Amino acid sequence: MIHMEFALEARQLKKQYQDKLALKGLNLQIEPGEIFCLLGQNGAGKSTTINLFLGFITPTSGAAYINGLEVATNQLKVKEYLAYIPENVMLYPNLTGLENLALFSSLAGFDYSPESLMQYLIEAGLPSEAATRKVGAYSKGMRQKVGIAIAVAKRAKVLLLDEPTSGLDPKASNEFSDLLLKLSSQGTAIFMATHDIFRAKEVGTRVGIMHEGELVDVLSTADLNANELENLYLNYMHA
Amino acid sequence: MVKSIAQKEFISTLRDRRFVVLSMLVLLLLLAATVVGLYSSHTLQQERQVAQEEVNHQFHNSADRHPHRMAHYGSFAFRPKSSLSFLDFGLDSFTGASVFMEAHKQNSANFSQAQQSSSLIRFGEMTVAFVLQMLLPLLIIFLCFGAFTQEKETGTLKILLSQGVSPRQIAWAKIAGYSKTVALVVTPALLLAGGLLFGQNGLDLQPDMLWRLLLFMAFYLVYFFIFIVLSVVVSALHQRSSTSLVTLLGIWILCCVIIPKASANLGNTLYTTPTKAQMDADVHEEVAKGIDGHNSQDARAEALKKDLLRKYGVDSVSQLPVNVDGIIMAVGEEQSTKVYREHFEKLTGTFQKQNRISELAAFLNPYLAVRHLSMGMASSDFPHYLHFQNKAEEYRYHLAQGLNHIQATRLKYHDKTTRLSSDTWKEFKPFTYETPPVHWALRHHLLSLTALVLWLCLVCTVGMRLVHKTQIV
Repeated sequence: MIHMEFALEARQLKKQYQDKLALKGLNLQIEPGEIFCLLGQNGAGKSTTINLFLGFITPTSGAAYINGLEVATNQLKVKEYLAYIPENVMLYPNLTGLENLALFSSLAGFDYSPESLMQYLIEAGLPSEAATRKVGAYSKGMRQKVGIAIAVAKRAKVLLLDEPTSGLDPKASNEFSDLLLKLSSQGTAIFMATHDIFRAKEVGTRVGIMHEGELVDVLSTADLNANELENLYLNYMHA
Repeated sequence: MVKSIAQKEFISTLRDRRFVVLSMLVLLLLLAATVVGLYSSHTLQQERQVAQEEVNHQFHNSADRHPHRMAHYGSFAFRPKSSLSFLDFGLDSFTGASVFMEAHKQNSANFSQAQQSSSLIRFGEMTVAFVLQMLLPLLIIFLCFGAFTQEKETGTLKILLSQGVSPRQIAWAKIAGYSKTVALVVTPALLLAGGLLFGQNGLDLQPDMLWRLLLFMAFYLVYFFIFIVLSVVVSALHQRSSTSLVTLLGIWILCCVIIPKASANLGNTLYTTPTKAQMDADVHEEVAKGIDGHNSQDARAEALKKDLLRKYGVDSVSQLPVNVDGIIMAVGEEQSTKVYREHFEKLTGTFQKQNRISELAAFLNPYLAVRHLSMGMASSDFPHYLHFQNKAEEYRYHLAQGLNHIQATRLKYHDKTTRLSSDTWKEFKPFTYETPPVHWALRHHLLSLTALVLWLCLVCTVGMRLVHKTQIV
């Protein structure tokens, strides 16, 4: 079944791990250009949701769709449309930042010139002198920036982010937010799992709250301020 | 896509100091084993050549003797070292280097290096084959154990896969990268071996030797490739590098230590061989039942005399146109050789059955497959040893019978005093030995060759299917 209208869609998506139901029938639609932030405690099911969209795990029931294609049956094809930034971007330590970006871009089918690759890294906030150093000597924040450059260079229609600002300094986090807004304005659908309520309020179009594998609420960020969102979130967590 | 990851693996490995140090050590060992092996082999070959020339000279220039005395004086056959045996000493160190060839008696090869060296030789020699068979797989394991597990542990596998690469493509790319790295370690040693080998022969590219060298290299490349694929597959099936490494080391111990020893022990237990003393006693007993070549009173000797008297129509053996002593010797030689050959064939049949267990075990273990093929190409295996032993026996038989013929035709009955001059001994061509051609060697290792090819197919098909099932999260 093809659902062309949504960049991301989950239909009754369930994931059972032996004795734990990690995701309890998620229904979600995200349109192109939308930034959907998913809040939740550790173990709430945020990463499971991302892994299901990435096709790294198979759903127990239901289906995940990227750009209208079911993930489970189109593993390689859906990867053309998405980019992924994990919480802790780990790259190849014996390669430079530039070489890492060149490698991952070539795997995605992009053959950029060294100048273009450098431009992506600089736009992601990595100093040009660091780009030619081995990644083994990078801080977590610097690796995160290379990860962002990899995702951006892929020109994906869908961006899956698993707590991407974790480890970034405030300046870099703000630059990252600006980047997300820019990508969103270009039509990229962004799904971001995060603990950062204020960042979610700042960049998100909608915010979802996940608790024990269930999407308990979806809110429009235009309708409430950060404090209200925080209170609401805490209420759900204590419920 | 595959090229990019392969290139990345290659560059990453070259930038990993631990691996570079380990590779340099293995390369140095290989180079040392090549040079030392060639020197040692060259020295042994020269010694054997000199010894062969010396015994040939001594035989041809022997003092005036009775032909039967000369038959007992005998000669030696020295087994020449094959040009490629410096790469794999195989059984050469344990099988004898020379055979004493005399009348009535079939001696096996004697004076092996193991007999003449300290017992340390039994713990294994540092040959090119040892490094290639045992140490290279270890290097491959250390290179590849983290192929997938490290990507899983660091999280790079998720980023790789999110770029649209399949686990199978990653596996093939890594295999290509690791293969390039292993080639970098092995190629200099093999080139050196080839260069020294042909340099030693005055750049005379004998086709058979070239084929043997090329096949030797090809078999090892397939063997390394099997280990690389196996290591990558095992890594894909594990979540942690430590467990992947332990599993691979377990496989190495099983393949390179336990199965070879177990199959050899199983062969010995299932097919027991008589001791040399027992076999000699059996042969002697059976020969004694017939004409022994010395006892003309023997019933069969008497029958033979009667036949000859009837054939030539004379009354006594002294009237025969031939010396009956020589005829009896010849028939006795024929008889004892027949008995010996029956026993020897039985014995070698038992050895072959023992070896067959090891050859069949190659279907469980690629190490055994390459070990047999390696020895086969280096001419240091059991079939080549047997080939030499048979050629020496063939020569011994013809020498003894030639001397018996001289006694029968040039000496009179019961003449034990005539001495023939050394010119007579010059009529005998000296012993020469040619290593059989490469296709002969391959024919003796078809099982091992099949096992190696099957292993290659198995890891490339079943292994790659398993890679697809790798657990990403």
